[in-house]
Parts: sequence; structure tokens; C-alpha cells
Amino acid sequence: MVKKKIAKVLSFRYKILAGVLLLLAGGLVLLPKYQKHEGIKPEELLSNTISPERYMTTDRLAHIIINQDPSFILIDVRDEKSFASYTLPNAINIPLEKLFDEGSDSYLNQNQFDVVLFSNDNFYADQAWILCNRLGYKHMRVLKGGINQWYTTIINPMKPAENMSAAEYELYATRKAASMFFGVVYPEQVKAEAPEIVKEAPKKVITVEKKKKAAAEGGC
Amino acid sequence: MKELEKTKRISIAATLFILAVIIGLLTYKRPKNVYAINTKDTLEKITSTSYFTTLEELKNPEYVLIDIRNQYEFEKGHLENAINIYAAEILSEDNIKVFEELKESNKTAILYGNNPQEVNAPFLILYQLGFDNIKLLAIENSYLQNKLISKNTVVEKSTADITAFINESVKKSNTVETVKTVVAPPKKVITVEKKKKAAAEGGC
Repeated sequence: MVKKKIAKVLSFRYKILAGVLLLLAGGLVLLPKYQKHEGIKPEELLSNTISPERYMTTDRLAHIIINQDPSFILIDVRDEKSFASYTLPNAINIPLEKLFDEGSDSYLNQNQFDVVLFSNDNFYADQAWILCNRLGYKHMRVLKGGINQWYTTIINPMKPAENMSAAEYELYATRKAASMFFGVVYPEQVKAEAPEIVKEAPKKVITVEKKKKAAAEGGC
Repeated sequence: MKELEKTKRISIAATLFILAVIIGLLTYKRPKNVYAINTKDTLEKITSTSYFTTLEELKNPEYVLIDIRNQYEFEKGHLENAINIYAAEILSEDNIKVFEELKESNKTAILYGNNPQEVNAPFLILYQLGFDNIKLLAIENSYLQNKLISKNTVVEKSTADITAFINESVKKSNTVETVKTVVAPPKKVITVEKKKKAAAEGGC
């Protein structure tokens, strides 16, 4: 009797085994749920954000704009009001709050262009960059110092003091030329146009020679 | 005999499978740090809530200061009662524990660095990990005779009106400058009187 029962159970043994294996496999499917999170790992994000690689200097940006490099898109993350008052040439306005709205994605998540983010300094632009970096968006840059730095270096560059090196002077000359490109007019430009003052020819002084008094002639 | 061989094979396969599962379970590690909120919510939170503090608000006993600069700078000078956690090591186990403890005890961590921009990244990362008890101290540090001087700053403040500046420069150029020509006083011409040749004196 007992043997018969065991034999009966044993005839199901493959099914039981298969059942156990299926159960375990099901467990494996459930496990990775913990790990699922949006974007790259926090550790990776941290190391990306700490490296200053993303920053672009204002000089470099000015060079890009002047040469009309077509591989760059400028994105202004400030609000509409500041955007309306001043922005860089050909910049697109995506306020920080609307960073993930529909429509902005096509500018941010693409492989064709390099995107340069900027704001008044680089605080908001950095925040936008960090969030985009977490999502794995490539080709993103941040303008170091933002519009404020743009003003002090490109629009209104400081004249180097007399004791500064030649390199400083050269940099100043480039920046000044760049600022002229962006619409600043310098008084020297105007002076050059002013008519030259014609120097008056020095008056000729005609010295009237006095008639010599008749010299006393010797005579006897 | 055939039946026995079949069972053998199956049991070997089964044990191997179970072994693989057990090894998998033992080596499975939960990732240390997991984001608590997604990017969209983070964006909404950072744009709608204020997370800045000023030096004046630091008297609050619930605030714990955290210096995210490196150890060298921390030792050179830091705010009173600050803890040093370098930005690059903010996600290490010990440091995350510090933040967790602060959260449990309902204290607010105040992060600061040499300027608000520097604190931005560590702040935002911790924020995304779910630590909403952190704030950012908007200060700028400088040293005067090896003494740390901190003062409040405002981020994203526009320092100059560029449009106005450009317009001004254009306007200046349009008003034609009247070039003043300083008329130099006529030079005095000193005529050196020529010495008269000694006249031929009469003589005998």
C-alpha cells in the first residue's frame, strides 16, 4: 500500500520539480525592482557634476558666435522677461521651469548639436545641466559665469593696466573687437572719423631789413 | 536502467539551477544610493520652493552646518560648528549616514561652500536622493589676513543691463563730439638782430 502511494507521488516528481524551479524563477523577476530608477547612477552623476568639463568660457563662446559655427545651439534658461531684455544672438528661451516640457526635448536630447546653457550666472544653467545629465543627455555645455561674465569680459572688457603683459593687451584687443561685433561702439571709433585738424603753416616772419644807416664814410 | 539515467540527469540539472539561484541571491546587492524622486518632480520642487538661507537665519537650533569644501580649505577657516563633508565624497556610506541621521532627528542640513554655485551640484544630488531636509547657504567666502569672511549673496542676480549699455555707447557715438582745438598762442619770434658789420670807418 505504502509503496503504491510513494510510487504515485513519485510519478509527479518532475512536475513538482518544475514547479519549484518556476517559483524560484518568478522570484528573480521580482527582485530587480529595487534597482529601477530613472537615469544614471547617483555616483556617476556626482563625478560628472564635479568635473569642470562642462564649462565653456565666454571668450570661446564669442569666438563661436562670431564665426557662426552651425553646430551650436544656445539656450537661455532665464525667465521670459530677462530673455526679452537681453540675450545672446540666436538664443532659444527655455525657462528652467519648462525644461522638461514638450517641445524642449527636441533641443536638449539630440546628437547633432552642442547645446550651451546659460543664465545670469551659472547657477540655474548648472541645475538644468545636472538634471539633463542624469537623464543621459549628451553634448551639453554651460557658459561659465553666464551673462554677467559675458558683460564683464566681452561687452565691457576692462582695459589692462600699463604694467600688464602683452598677452593681456592682446586679449583686450580681441575682446574689444568682439564687443564691437555685438554692437558696442567706442568713442575712439568716432574720433577717427573726425576731420583732421589742418595745421596752419607757420607764419613766415618777414623781417624787414632796416636800411643801414649810411656808414660814416671816411673822408678827409 | 534508462529511467535511472534520466532521473540522474534531471537531479543534476536541478541542483545546478538551484545553486545558481542561491549564488545569485547571495551576491545580489541593493544599490547603495537610489533616487527617491524623478527629474520632473525635482525640477518642480526646486523651481517652486525656496531652499536658500542667509547667515542671519543660522541661529536656528535645528540647523546643522555642513562645509562641502575640501579639508585644506576647511582647516583654513570655517563657520562655527560646521561639519566637513567634501563634495566629492558626499555619497560615501558614512556621509550618507550622517544625512540620514539628520533626517531622522528632523534637523535641517545647511550646505555651504565658497560660493553658492559650488554647492549646487551636491545639493541637487542629495535632493534627488530624497533628502528634502537640506538647504543651501547663499554666501560668498573670502579671506582677509587668514580669517574667513562670509557675506550673503544673491544667486542669478543680473549685474548689468547690457542693452542699456550698448544703446548708451551707440548714443555717445552719434553725438558728434565737438573737437576743441586749443589755439596755441602765436609764437614769439625773436629776431636776432644781426650784428652790424663794422662799418668801414673812415680813416686816413
